[in-house]
Amino acid sequence: MKYLFLGYGNLDRQDDGVAWHLLCEVMKRLNYPPPDLAEDEFPIAHGEYTFDFQLQLTPELADPLGSFDKVCFMDAHTGNIADEIHLEKITPEYQPSPLTHHMTASTVLSLCEVLHHHAPEAILVSVRGYEFKFTRSLSSPTAALIAPAADTILEWIK
Amino acid sequence: MVAQKITIEPVTRIEGHAKVTIRLNDAGKVEHAYLHVNEFRGFEKFCEGRMVFEMPLITPRICGICPVSHHLASAKAGDAILGAPPPRPASLLRELMHMGQIVQSHGMHFFELAGPDLLLGFDCDPATRNVVGLLQANPDLTVKAINLRKWGQEIIATLGGRRIHPVFAVPGGVNKSLKKEEREYILSGYDDAVATIKIGLDIIKGWAEANMEDINKFAVFPTGYFGLVDPENALELYDGQIRLIGADGKQLEKFEPSHYLDYIAEHVENWSYLKFPYYKKLGFPGGVYRVGPLGRLNNSDKITTPMANEELKKFKAINPGRPVENTLYYHYARLIECLYAAEHVKDLLDDPDIFSTDILNTCHNPQPQGVGVIEAPRGTLIHHYWADEQGKIEKVNLIVSTGHNNWAMCEAVDSVAKTYITGPDVREGLLNRVEAAVRAHDPCLSCSTHAVGQMPITIEVRDPEDNLIQTISRD
Repeated sequence: MKYLFLGYGNLDRQDDGVAWHLLCEVMKRLNYPPPDLAEDEFPIAHGEYTFDFQLQLTPELADPLGSFDKVCFMDAHTGNIADEIHLEKITPEYQPSPLTHHMTASTVLSLCEVLHHHAPEAILVSVRGYEFKFTRSLSSPTAALIAPAADTILEWIK
Repeated sequence: MVAQKITIEPVTRIEGHAKVTIRLNDAGKVEHAYLHVNEFRGFEKFCEGRMVFEMPLITPRICGICPVSHHLASAKAGDAILGAPPPRPASLLRELMHMGQIVQSHGMHFFELAGPDLLLGFDCDPATRNVVGLLQANPDLTVKAINLRKWGQEIIATLGGRRIHPVFAVPGGVNKSLKKEEREYILSGYDDAVATIKIGLDIIKGWAEANMEDINKFAVFPTGYFGLVDPENALELYDGQIRLIGADGKQLEKFEPSHYLDYIAEHVENWSYLKFPYYKKLGFPGGVYRVGPLGRLNNSDKITTPMANEELKKFKAINPGRPVENTLYYHYARLIECLYAAEHVKDLLDDPDIFSTDILNTCHNPQPQGVGVIEAPRGTLIHHYWADEQGKIEKVNLIVSTGHNNWAMCEAVDSVAKTYITGPDVREGLLNRVEAAVRAHDPCLSCSTHAVGQMPITIEVRDPEDNLIQTISRD
């Protein structure tokens, strides 16, 4: 079974980059050292697990996605989603997005399906962001959600 | 009939946040349409107090879409502050990275952002008028388009060591030379890249031929044109002098980029955070001009690479002896530039100096201020820094590409709204044309923040007293 953990967000905009912190936490829990910087070379493969971080989802991600069995997308969400930690199953389906440069996970899966005639099983785990200032440090309430969000992801791969 | 206001927020498939408001009068005709840029970044302010050598690392964070342009413009401003012009090999390598940025950005825009409108039609069902619909309709072409963008990204990553926020250009040069195997790797993608761009050129020319009525009534208006050129007025994207021509195509000015403040000023409107640059001598709005692919090709007499130059001749033949004013020809101009950038990659890789390790000028002659200008994919990008004797930044002025085009984008939105919306029954396809008027300029309003579910499109119809009459959501 090949797993991809794909975090995305703008690390320079505080909680928008929560996926980076979550990706590092998942790597630690799986006993792999996280890289020092989000800008370091990705993806990083360790056995059946591959870890990746992107500023945003882009069309060219659709191709490599086809080589995985399971994909966990990680992102931030704002107050319009009630849950602090939101988990949803992602199916390949085009979703209108106001800005194509931040394609949705479903859209990338959909592109993958058209390219490869199949798409991996996928989930999206998103964490509530509270502040979006120009800093790389998470707000306290968002930082407190990292550990339980990692629990959710580790439960999914069991 | 009650007068109405229609709001499209945000405009889709551009880089950042914007809102379009269309005011209908009592007869249901468009009175005026506005493009509002409703975000404020404040980057100039929080760069104050940082060291000049940090600026090429800080300023790319302005945008996740064209960080290379900010990186290089910032390094050029740093060169000027340190009084350390880069050795020729360093300039070649910077230019190589810049060409990678032009290819990936122009390729992405044409095939993935504008492509759905052009290939599937403005009036196509929005459920399929998108990149996935495009892929389903043209799977081979879309795979080629994805690979074109990937080639540009790989040039950037090869030089910068990272896919985003490169650490490469430093004041006085660059910090990494090119290896022979890296040259071969980049060259291996050249033929496919050129072939894909040529397919794009055939598409846009065929589309233009079949849609001449749209081309000739979609946001056609006179302006000046502004951009870098070489001493013989050939297209320049990395260096050179700034040339400004008038609406009649005659040269108004040609000047060193560091003197830009002598020639341009910025007008402010209370309904937008984005300023409106204009040519001082003609005032506002008489002195407004356009930048980016359409501005640059109108401004250039020739292109230094053969295939792109042949295309430029065809472009110039559209309106012989005068500038091409049609907004939809931005797409054609963009692909001609993309072809130039790809060809220029090969030229740069064939230059005997490209492997040189003489890549950093360490002899400094500090200056109190420095200007770095580059042609970003979207247009002329100006970084101007003032620093103290230690190189600590005291003041920053940034004029971003999209700013230069601000008036033109507003005019295009107004023109298209008035042309296509003729009554209160506003169909989605018509609204998409209004958005396409903005998208043609490929604006970068630099948000780079995107949380799940944050950005649905809402169109609000309001009466003159701002009472909500109707809401249309597209999510």
